[in-house]
Amino acid sequence: MRINRSPSDPLLELDRVSVHFPVKRTTPFSKRRFIQAVTDVGLRIAEGETFGIVGESGCGKSTLANAMIGMVRPTAGSVRFQGDDLYALKRSAFKAARRNMQMIFQDPFSSLNPRFSVYDIIREPLYIRGGVSDAAMRSKVLELLKLVGLDEEDLNRYPSDFSGGQRQRIGIARAIILNPTFLVCDEPVSGLDVSVHAQILNLLMDIQKSRNLTYVFISHNLAVVKNVCQSLLVMYLGKVMEAGQSDAVFAAPLHPYTKALLSAILDIDVHGTRDRIILKGDIPSPIDPPAGCRFWQRCPFAMRGCETIPADLVDVEEGHRVACHLVSGFSSEQIAAGMDQPVSPQPVR
Amino acid sequence: MTDTVLEVRNLKVAFPSAGGVIRAVEGIDLVTEKGECVALVGESGCGKSVTALSVMKLLRTPPAVSRIDTHRLDGRDLTRLTDREMERIRGKDMAIIFQDAMTALNPVMTVGKQIDEVYRRHLRLTKKEARKRTVSALKLVGVPEARSRANSYPHELSGGMRQRVLIALAFACMPKLIIADEPTTSLDVTIQAQVLDVLKSMQREHDVSALLITHDLSVVANMANTVYVMYSGKIVERAALKELFAEPLHPYTQGLLASVPRLSDRKQAFVQIPDTVPHPLHKPSGCYFHPRCFRAGDPCRQRMPRLNGLEDGRQVRCFDPLRQERETPS
Repeated sequence: MRINRSPSDPLLELDRVSVHFPVKRTTPFSKRRFIQAVTDVGLRIAEGETFGIVGESGCGKSTLANAMIGMVRPTAGSVRFQGDDLYALKRSAFKAARRNMQMIFQDPFSSLNPRFSVYDIIREPLYIRGGVSDAAMRSKVLELLKLVGLDEEDLNRYPSDFSGGQRQRIGIARAIILNPTFLVCDEPVSGLDVSVHAQILNLLMDIQKSRNLTYVFISHNLAVVKNVCQSLLVMYLGKVMEAGQSDAVFAAPLHPYTKALLSAILDIDVHGTRDRIILKGDIPSPIDPPAGCRFWQRCPFAMRGCETIPADLVDVEEGHRVACHLVSGFSSEQIAAGMDQPVSPQPVR
Repeated sequence: MTDTVLEVRNLKVAFPSAGGVIRAVEGIDLVTEKGECVALVGESGCGKSVTALSVMKLLRTPPAVSRIDTHRLDGRDLTRLTDREMERIRGKDMAIIFQDAMTALNPVMTVGKQIDEVYRRHLRLTKKEARKRTVSALKLVGVPEARSRANSYPHELSGGMRQRVLIALAFACMPKLIIADEPTTSLDVTIQAQVLDVLKSMQREHDVSALLITHDLSVVANMANTVYVMYSGKIVERAALKELFAEPLHPYTQGLLASVPRLSDRKQAFVQIPDTVPHPLHKPSGCYFHPRCFRAGDPCRQRMPRLNGLEDGRQVRCFDPLRQERETPS
């Protein structure tokens, strides 16, 4: 759209984005409460890169992805896609921008209509956009079907005839039929067998290379993220814990949560015994999250100040930011008040 | 008296369907020693869950047709037992942990009551005694505030807690055998680590044998002693954990191991096994794996290889196992 965009500008830029959902009041006089799904997230995604978002379920990573592609209006902050504020665009311009952004979903079972044939599923975006003849549509669908590794004879079959991996291939074909520039992959392999992971990931990488796509890759598996992403963001309860170039983050992870996630990945190395950090408790509810650092209740290194003082994201090196009091430290007054004294982790209710 | 807890010989299960007979399990032997954790690994559709259900005798026949030569639990022959007699064994001598805790638990009954039931039925305890045991069982698996949590309904608990309840339920009577069918697949990574830890320590401390069923080799690496690799209804390789991971003999095992993404190396392309598992109605001729195998030769296309025992106790079903290369020079 923008002619005067320089190539170094990010494709997508989020500035202090928050998404809070109101909770239905149980009585007319009770306090209004919000699910703070995403709070104060800022990021820049460069053209052609793969940007990883890592976190457990309920950390807000899918809400963040939805905010990126115009599906959920943020309650605060701005989303700029190719230089335009996505949520300030006129309807027609918004639709044009949305065409450039597509999504691949986690569950290949519920994301495909069981009553649609493969042809109907893949062509649907094109059909809705319109302006294409039936013959052109058919040849386009066939071309994509081959690209994702399915056969022409699969065209008239239904999703129930396919395995999880094959369904995911259909979902990928559908996502790229409008030639988008930006693709959000929301846990594209976590519903699949480990042996099929590699096939789908390789396919996604090939498509990215041949079509020069920009990916947002959502996952809870850091081993996968390390292999595919150039930058990444570690989220916990709606906030960014650690972010940066994936080389820098993996070379020296600093946030205890990142370390715990890394050590929770079960390695298939049966000889080396690693020191594993096993977090206590569950993820707390995003309704009324902890006031200070959101992770403090489960943090093995929590200090007294972590409970009340929020940790800000600080730059620790070029392209590596961390939000943790262990890294940023407390001010001298806070230390005098005993804020740096360790506390035992609280059981999460 | 041997120390074999579970012995299954030549288990076959088939499902008649409109398109033909689906042979889900084609002659499987499984042996579990006391205190051992045996893993059954394979992709979805390979027949591992059907095997688990058959071991528990939970498979409904009909529609399934099953045959088994030997089925012993702690020396006791299970093949001829009636449903009634099996009910007395299930939950007491062997128990199963299912993948999806939300569907495995009764949604309209508190979790405490569901565990009480096991004690009252199998140990004939009174309500009060049963609840006492329930609370201590919940404590054992790391449920905080076990006394009040026992009065919660399944939907009030998180996924990790529900899975712990299932573990407590399975271990309630300290059975001889625990079957864990994908016990951590639906959980988050940090919760998965917690639950696996609980399962492992329960199994080790109480010297219970376990049959772990999973598609995830990294789970296997953290729990199992012996591994059976299953492909399309047949065992293709059996070995001790360390040997299997150090030197897979079957090309399929090698492919499975290589496809696990690792933190230690950075490579752009992931190692993959081509294609997918054959459809159970259209299994290929010869070795079922040959269409996906990079070493397949003429014999592989014509005949199914036998599960050969090697001198070190390993077993592999392959005409051309990967180890040969090293041994031929001598």
